[in-house]
Amino acid sequence: MFEMLAQGLAIVFEPSLFLMTLLAIVMGTVFGALPGVSATMAVALGLPFTYSMQPVPAIVFLVAVYCSSITGGSISAILFKIPGVPSSAPTTFDGYPMAKRGEAGKAIGVALVTSAIGGLFSAFAMFFLSPQLTQAALNFGPSEMFAVTFMGLSILTSLDSKNILRTTISGLLGLLLGTVGQDPMYGVQRLTFGSRQLLSGIEMIPVLIGIFALTEVFQQTKENKRITAEDAEKAGATTIDTKMPSMKEWLSIKWVIIRCSLIGTVVGILPGAGATIASFLCYSTETKLSKHPEKFGTGIIDGVAASEAANNAATGGAMVPLLSLGIPGGNAAAVMMSALVLKGVQLGPLLLINQPEYLSATFVSMIITNIVMVFVAIGIAKVFAKILSIPYSVLGPVIMMLAMIGSYATNMSTMDVKIMAIAGVMGVLFKVMHFNSAALILGLVLGSICEGNFSRAYTIYRGDIAGMFMRPIAGTIMVICIVALIYPFIAPALKTMLGKNKKTADK
Amino acid sequence: MFELILNILLVLFLVYSLFTHVIEAPIPDKVQRNPFALKPGVWPSVLIVLLLITLTINIIKIIKNNKGKPNFTLSYFVKEIPAFFKSKLFLGILIIVVAAFILEPLGFTVTSLFVLFFYGMLLGEKNVLKNIIVSVILSLFLYLFFGVLLQVNLPRGTVPFLREFALMLESLLS
Repeated sequence: MFEMLAQGLAIVFEPSLFLMTLLAIVMGTVFGALPGVSATMAVALGLPFTYSMQPVPAIVFLVAVYCSSITGGSISAILFKIPGVPSSAPTTFDGYPMAKRGEAGKAIGVALVTSAIGGLFSAFAMFFLSPQLTQAALNFGPSEMFAVTFMGLSILTSLDSKNILRTTISGLLGLLLGTVGQDPMYGVQRLTFGSRQLLSGIEMIPVLIGIFALTEVFQQTKENKRITAEDAEKAGATTIDTKMPSMKEWLSIKWVIIRCSLIGTVVGILPGAGATIASFLCYSTETKLSKHPEKFGTGIIDGVAASEAANNAATGGAMVPLLSLGIPGGNAAAVMMSALVLKGVQLGPLLLINQPEYLSATFVSMIITNIVMVFVAIGIAKVFAKILSIPYSVLGPVIMMLAMIGSYATNMSTMDVKIMAIAGVMGVLFKVMHFNSAALILGLVLGSICEGNFSRAYTIYRGDIAGMFMRPIAGTIMVICIVALIYPFIAPALKTMLGKNKKTADK
Repeated sequence: MFELILNILLVLFLVYSLFTHVIEAPIPDKVQRNPFALKPGVWPSVLIVLLLITLTINIIKIIKNNKGKPNFTLSYFVKEIPAFFKSKLFLGILIIVVAAFILEPLGFTVTSLFVLFFYGMLLGEKNVLKNIIVSVILSLFLYLFFGVLLQVNLPRGTVPFLREFALMLESLLS
């Protein structure tokens, strides 16, 4: 264990990589703080910086961008009620009322420290859990791997509970996009429409960049709603003094931090669920568990701590299935997976056994990021108005160029830039159709892994699909998946039924 | 209405794909002969069928939810088309699509200047001179950072004089 730790420290503290990690932390925090730049988009925009790096430094860099962007999102959530990243949305519930009361500094202080605690907790969880999961995964056959991947897909219906049908369609479209090119077992050409460039399938990175970065800039172009320096001044965001709460206040939220760090890590581990689900889940859990639930939403530190500890805890959790199984825990992890695949890294259970430096370097990167980002974010919060005063007429086109470079440099192919542009347009159409982009990406990322494992299992079990899932682990996971898939569809009917029964009993 | 049209177009495209493009090459004999091999067309076909079912339900829902609304007519949609082509969203998409297609022939420098300048104008920068200066500085910065510092081989373009210009720039900067 200590050997691994020393190995990680040696990798990350190599001067040039350490400087790049610091750059990643600043970049991630700024991107995260900018409304409209999600954590996934921040990681995607960080990709071009990693093209000349070796795989391990690349993952160190991207992890630093990822963790710090989640934290950065809390700054604009507290100051402007606009979450910088979607997972900071619950932070606005209590952070913004605190800012309105003149306690913006305190709210940011709580957000940063709880983010760091959540992040550090999940980093340790990742460090200790990943090797265990890897060992267990060595006994996994294709049916277990299919079941785990399917679990990620089953979460699709929970991504947007108000829009289950359209989220399912989006996920299915993602899965279908994953079938373009040659099939994973026999290399037979499918859905290429005669294009030679599509023979190797649809490259994930350009699609990710197009869907997340381009669509967002298109949306901003359409809405033209940006925060100006004047807005920042009005909100008092030009003079932020980060004040920490008193020891008594910290002690009052200790269980909130512990619970949310734990829940956030567990949610992060589930393939498909990410920081956004974690922060909403923790916020609602804390509202239920609190002795003063009526105060939630009025500006209390408990609400800020719940959301921020949870969303940062999900970052470490998301890395567990990626490093131990080769299955991303969320969209940002999917971008990292694409970066590693691009560099020829064979993801899967053998990765950590043959190259444990991936785990140790990721762990050290997360530890450093979660500590350094507190100070970086304090600095950024102080100069936030200046960052926001960069006109969007400069920032928007720069994001476009970063997106183009990021897509091109994937394979040094201009075809990928065209795919990115198409994906950007597709993202806009998705908004019109109320489809879910995150579900599409999840489907695209997990599709080929899912199909490959299902095909292998089908052949091994000689076409006996029931037999495939008679194995204890695969069977249990599949039952959980089916419940997760069906529950959102039947939940309203169940609630109505229970309500009727209650009324009858009351009568 | 636009939502409905897009859903219908998607259904038509999927039906076309299902019958013509799910399998585009002969399936190898060994796969044909193996009764326990999952044929390459099964997975995409199942997905398309599931998509057709869910999309049909979605179309019915859209019609049900919008029935009787004044803007849910084809004539209203047709009336809105010219406004869309004048919108900032369409112009933004156009700039990026054009940029994606000129990247190969004209190279990185010209494309970067094009995107930074025109998208800047689209996003409200009215001062042309300032926009030109900012575009040039940012293009040089991006070129230096990615092309020189991170050694990404940015496209030089296929048009001879632009390619020579890019090579000259590279030799000057590096």
